[in-house]
Amino acid sequence: MWELIRANKRKSLFLFFVMGICLLVLGFFIGGAYAGDDGGFIGLFVAFGIWILMSMISYFRGDSIILMMSRAKKVSYNVHPQLFNVVEEMKLAANLPVMPDIYIIPEEAPNAFAVGKKPEYCAIAVTAGLLERLNRDELQGVIAHEMSHILNRDVLFMTFSGVLLGSIVFLSHVFLRSMWFSGGGSRFRSKSSKGGGQLQLILIVVALIMAILAPLMARLLYLAISRKREYLADASAVRLTRYPEGLACALEKISLNNYEMKTANKATAALYIANPLKPKGMKLSNLTSTHPPMDERIRILRNISHGANFIDYQNAFTSIKGKQNIIPSSGIRERKKINIRTSTAASTQTKSTKKSTRDLGDLMRAVNKYMFLSCACGLKMKLPPNFKKDKISCPRCGRENHVPIAELAAMSGMIAIDEKNDSIQNNEQVKQDSFVYNRTGKGWETFSCRCGSPKQLSPAFNKASFVCNKCGRKIEIKGP
Amino acid sequence: MDCPVCKNEPMIVLELNEVEIDYCLSCKGIWLDAGELELLLGSSTETVEFLNSFTSDDITKEKTHKCPICNKKMEKILVIGNRKVRIDKCKYNHGIWFDSGELEDILGMRKLDNKNKVLTLLNDMLGKKIKE
Ligand SMILES: [Zn+2]
Ligand SMILES: [Zn+2]
Ligand SMILES: [Zn+2]
Ligand SMILES: [Zn+2]
Repeated sequence: MWELIRANKRKSLFLFFVMGICLLVLGFFIGGAYAGDDGGFIGLFVAFGIWILMSMISYFRGDSIILMMSRAKKVSYNVHPQLFNVVEEMKLAANLPVMPDIYIIPEEAPNAFAVGKKPEYCAIAVTAGLLERLNRDELQGVIAHEMSHILNRDVLFMTFSGVLLGSIVFLSHVFLRSMWFSGGGSRFRSKSSKGGGQLQLILIVVALIMAILAPLMARLLYLAISRKREYLADASAVRLTRYPEGLACALEKISLNNYEMKTANKATAALYIANPLKPKGMKLSNLTSTHPPMDERIRILRNISHGANFIDYQNAFTSIKGKQNIIPSSGIRERKKINIRTSTAASTQTKSTKKSTRDLGDLMRAVNKYMFLSCACGLKMKLPPNFKKDKISCPRCGRENHVPIAELAAMSGMIAIDEKNDSIQNNEQVKQDSFVYNRTGKGWETFSCRCGSPKQLSPAFNKASFVCNKCGRKIEIKGP
Repeated sequence: MDCPVCKNEPMIVLELNEVEIDYCLSCKGIWLDAGELELLLGSSTETVEFLNSFTSDDITKEKTHKCPICNKKMEKILVIGNRKVRIDKCKYNHGIWFDSGELEDILGMRKLDNKNKVLTLLNDMLGKKIKE
């Protein structure tokens, strides 16, 4: 496996350097076009500076910027136990040193991505729509795909290539704009008449050609890298799950979706398991997409027979796409037979569309920091985070209900209590009178502990009690 | 999501017996996302006929409101049953706004609502006495 990762890294590094040279050469000629031969080196230097600066930003802040842009929120176990279990399972299968942080994106479009400079520090983000639509086997396929991106160091690499591409596009754009506004280079011509004009004219022409070609070339390289990595992650996912049909079904469901993601953009699109931006035009998008066509990925997965090792994926790939190496040779050499497993029975669960729509809505609201109050009369009130009154009189029965907004504001990032972490940490605190909360339903519920600290129960919370992490009180939960 | 009438007033979501509405506490108006009215009325040919009978009303002088989702001006829709009700609908189909009482009026029209179960539930939800 290590050899495979290294081979993958080598190949990508090569393409990465070709892109880097593209940027530097572009910088050199643009500089030359402006100020003759001295300018070439200034241009080179400026291009290099932009590259380093942007790479630094994306290395040190990339993960958080991407997560923030996608509006993903970190969640605890109780928000979606199945998701956590699947991630843990795949973490063990992939031999990942730590459990990735888990984020949910409040969007209806089913999609997912992973970030992380290295396997020791990484996160997986999935949309609420994905969780609501996929069964366990399908979710496992998607998580395994993301886990593979982490293992293969794809995230760091894709971010860096994206930044490089961005720098090239930016430089050529600025140059072409300035040429346009200076009246097609008249300013250069007057300077060049003073002497050495011939050389400068050539530099301008070369710079123009470069400014047009470099972004195209860089983009093609970038696409080649990102597509290959998608196939490789699919192949690794099959190996980890031993169940190609799971991922195939998941991709099928994802491709049937009609929602466009509001929080994705061109810069982050390559990170997602499926292109989050709906192509505006026609089939042309197949050429310029960061992702291989979905139907092809699905067909390859469904063509896998015999086993779940890399060689089996490569064979399926060859039978559909022709001779082309997707898996580095070290992966192919690994001949250990991995049998395909059968589907888990738990996968077949059906929910009514009405219930499913409501569950999806509540999950998105929970991620968006809504409070879920239940009045004693049975009416449920879901309050958005910009609700600013600390009392609400129930529209049904008129009872006054306390809204823990002040307490909530004091806490950050609360979505559902996590009895795994919350209760253990503060076990030594003084035990006080216990406190009983009567649950009114099976959904999300927000209430305050007697100490004022707000608590949120997710539909999955099924413990009889937990300990308040503020005051150490035992809170008993009585079910409906 | 803020109330399209009271502007900076956040709307809350009410849920009772599996029925969910967006509700403004101060003007008591109701917002239904696209498709939710259909969900409330139940899928029947009568429902489809009823929804098709919605006609846009561009002569009215009633104040227009902005869609709480896309912030574009909503259009006025005239619903004619045993009485006339004028509601606001997003042109980009994000949903429908009902001023206080309008949804009840529409649900009460022409026995659309299967034995008025939904109307009864809505009245119960908002703490109103059921008028027979
Ligand atoms: Zn009440
Ligand atoms: Zn407490
Ligand atoms: Zn209002
Ligand atoms: Zn709208």
